Amino acid sequence: MKLCPNCGTLNREGMFFCEECGQDLREGNATLSTKEFEERPSDLASRATWGTASFGKQQSVIVHIRDVAEPIKLPIADRTIVGRADETSVRQPDFDLTPHGALEKGVSRIHAAIERSDDTLTLVDMGSSNGTYLNGQRLLPDQPRVLRDGDEIRFGKLVAHIYFK
Amino acid sequence: MNFEFDPYRVLGVSLGAQPEDIKKAYRNLARRLHPDTNQNNPGASIQFKDVTTAYELLIDPDRRRAYDDQTRRRKTDDEMYFTLRVTPIARRLTALPEPQVTYLLAELFPDPRATETETKRESRLNLTLVLDHSNSMAGTRLEKLKIAAHQLVDQMSQTDILSVVIFNDRAEVIIPATYVKDKPALKAKISMMVAAGGTEIYHGLSKGVEQNRTYLGPRLVNHVILLTDGHTFGDQERCLELAQTAAKEGISISALGLGHDWNDQFLDSIASKTGGTSEFINSPSGIVRFLNDHVKNLANGFAERVRLSVATDPDVQLELAFRIAPNPQPLEQENGYIALGSLQANRSIAVLLQFQLPGEMQPGYRSVARLLAVGDVLQNRNQTMQEVSDIELQVSSEANHDEPPSVILEALSKLTLYRLQERAQEAVEAGDVHEATRRLENLATRLLALGQEELAGQALSEARRVAHTRDLSDKGRKTLKYQTRHLLLSSSTGDSSE
Repeated sequence: MKLCPNCGTLNREGMFFCEECGQDLREGNATLSTKEFEERPSDLASRATWGTASFGKQQSVIVHIRDVAEPIKLPIADRTIVGRADETSVRQPDFDLTPHGALEKGVSRIHAAIERSDDTLTLVDMGSSNGTYLNGQRLLPDQPRVLRDGDEIRFGKLVAHIYFK
Repeated sequence: MNFEFDPYRVLGVSLGAQPEDIKKAYRNLARRLHPDTNQNNPGASIQFKDVTTAYELLIDPDRRRAYDDQTRRRKTDDEMYFTLRVTPIARRLTALPEPQVTYLLAELFPDPRATETETKRESRLNLTLVLDHSNSMAGTRLEKLKIAAHQLVDQMSQTDILSVVIFNDRAEVIIPATYVKDKPALKAKISMMVAAGGTEIYHGLSKGVEQNRTYLGPRLVNHVILLTDGHTFGDQERCLELAQTAAKEGISISALGLGHDWNDQFLDSIASKTGGTSEFINSPSGIVRFLNDHVKNLANGFAERVRLSVATDPDVQLELAFRIAPNPQPLEQENGYIALGSLQANRSIAVLLQFQLPGEMQPGYRSVARLLAVGDVLQNRNQTMQEVSDIELQVSSEANHDEPPSVILEALSKLTLYRLQERAQEAVEAGDVHEATRRLENLATRLLALGQEELAGQALSEARRVAHTRDLSDKGRKTLKYQTRHLLLSSSTGDSSE
């Protein structure tokens, strides 16, 4: 059986595209990419990864922003707005990316949100100008997608990896 | 004696084959195709009959001699052929404990001589139009339909045959089957159509098929075009039975749905049963374009009543058959045959087949299926011809890393989108809103990745709609279905000359 790296459906051997979501099943299989991810987390751009989606109550999220040396520990509320702080705006983001070059990299003021449900985290694009990408795939606005350990998120041109800890 | 097929080709033996070779070939084939081991495999029983007839003929020295004499007299140099080429997605399979899936691309090519100028000849048409003139057709639709029908009359030649049936709750033959000679008179009759009444397809379709039968002939392209914009009630079963009979007689039916308020599954099925095409025409002006193109293609026919029988080995299942080119269409197996309609002189037919193979296959070579294509080559004196292709694949204990042929892969990636759409509709019908929404969102994501932004937006808005109303919109359902099907056109392998 072949495990779809995008939606986790088991497809019969010999299938080339996931029956459930249309994902090309040839781009590296699930178990292999997990291993690669542990070795070289920086190479994960545009490759589908596979990690756990379950996010416990006590866990927190570590964000690695590309070209920023120190990982950031992100406290997770029920809804964490990611964006760029701007004095003139009424709403301010919970996670401000201004110190990491948000303006040059095209991050919107209210760009995306990370939402916590029972035991998973989801990522929602809030109608940003330059888009939010999960593992290289552009999100449709207001359509939540489940986050997994090791996922690559791109806010406009700002690339970040997230890990559950 | 008049044999419609070539027993040597059917058995796969040479013209000089000895009785022992013939016996051996027959035994091998009979073992694979015997009805006892192929109970749910109508393709196999058809081929078993053919193989047995061929064997009985060739094993009897007198009958064989008579056949040889007859064909020798009959064979002339200008007989034309079509060829069947089958490409597997992988020639080498990996032996696995569990079942696996594999794909074959079956392509039919017309004789290359068919497009040469000295032999080129337009095929003659026996065309019937079955036109809906119910109330909902009033206005632009009916006007455009008249324009399209007029252009069609202009386009046809004096040796072509046309009949026109109009229907609402009842049906009326406004042009009985006739040679297209007095064009102004024919056009005048079409102009008199007035919109009124409801939609009941069966009456119209049965009168149409009846008209087509008047001149039904093996040297003609016998085709019925049904155009409707409404649902028919209570007579769908009878229509499908009629389509089945028509297909057997050699009449193909194309079905065009206009606007959004018609039953797509029903029209698809009519077309699939007879080898025709079903289409969704979004705007009235589309009628003119579609009819013109469609009839131009019909006039370019090389072989008619082309059909494919797929006899899988007893432990193999055929899961899906889909025509990729020239007109993408899901296919149905009917009495062991998959109707493919007409093979045009300048375009090939391509069909993608999906099989499930059993687990625990032994390493070595094994047969998977036997494909048989039958069709009537219009300009041959002895028209019916067959092509057989026996598919053998290698099973090996090592993993296969060969790159699959890009044509198949490309077609498969587009077909996946069509299937996603289909599965979303299945979920809607089953009342599983959650599943349906998810599939539509997945479809939107894939479409967006392909750069099909408009269609992706449509999929997404349907996803939202399903979440609220538990159903798709009529328009959305059809747009998604026929547009995802059309994506296959860009990857089609069939256009050799365009």
